[in-house]
Amino acid sequence: MKVVWRVLDLIVGGIFIYAGAIKALDPVQFGFDIDNYKSLPWFISVRLAFFLPWLEILCGLALIFRFLYRGGLSILTTLVLVFIGATIVAKARGLDITCGCFGHASEHWSFVQHTAIDLAILLALAALLWIELIRGAHHDQKN
Amino acid sequence: MLAVLPAIGEGFYFRDRVSWQSPIPASELVTVDQAKAWGDGVIWVDARPDDEFASDHVPGAFSLNEDHWGELLAQFLPNWSPEKKVVVYCSAESCNAARDVAKRLRDDAQIQNVFVLNGGWEEWMKKNR
Repeated sequence: MKVVWRVLDLIVGGIFIYAGAIKALDPVQFGFDIDNYKSLPWFISVRLAFFLPWLEILCGLALIFRFLYRGGLSILTTLVLVFIGATIVAKARGLDITCGCFGHASEHWSFVQHTAIDLAILLALAALLWIELIRGAHHDQKN
Repeated sequence: MLAVLPAIGEGFYFRDRVSWQSPIPASELVTVDQAKAWGDGVIWVDARPDDEFASDHVPGAFSLNEDHWGELLAQFLPNWSPEKKVVVYCSAESCNAARDVAKRLRDDAQIQNVFVLNGGWEEWMKKNR
């Protein structure tokens, strides 16, 4: 079973490294994508566009190398939750947004498609977080 | 905190290609009056959806939106020449389509002298009623 969780670590970590790298290559476009949500002023959107991709890459690496693992998992879970919330709010406000989460690859995703993918990633992150907490509790009991 | 360092480095690397205070740098914005003063030296590009373009547009404008990018770009390019200024507009100041199309014209089609019309179609209509 341990192998399954490790594989899930690698898959989820890999997804965030890919998503972060593709946005880090064109932070200006990612700034536009954040701005399209019309939730933040531009001066914050553009700064987030430079910061978030690197945060995703580092958290993805944390999952793969199991270094600062819980922190990485918690940050990624929060990011995905915020992103799902922002997407739903934007949809409710009738905004025609490009997800921007995977650069040009996600340009033509529908609302349903990218919400489904985000929920799948959230589910995987929640499972990893849950198993990590159980492992932590067992470890504490042994000591 | 670790992510701040590469972000700052990248921000420094992109410092000349990004506008920190507004999504469109002032040097890339043009008013209706300025664009009209350029006369025949302007190619108008309408970044709104097809139906809005069909209902009305700036006289002589080409439709170029991201829904049919490849097809519309192929129709636009034979009419473009390097000495002309390209002015892109969308519905209003709050829309992003003109900014996105202008960026793609610069990045994908390698066209320089691309400007975004301040206030978009709404502003054009105010000045031309």
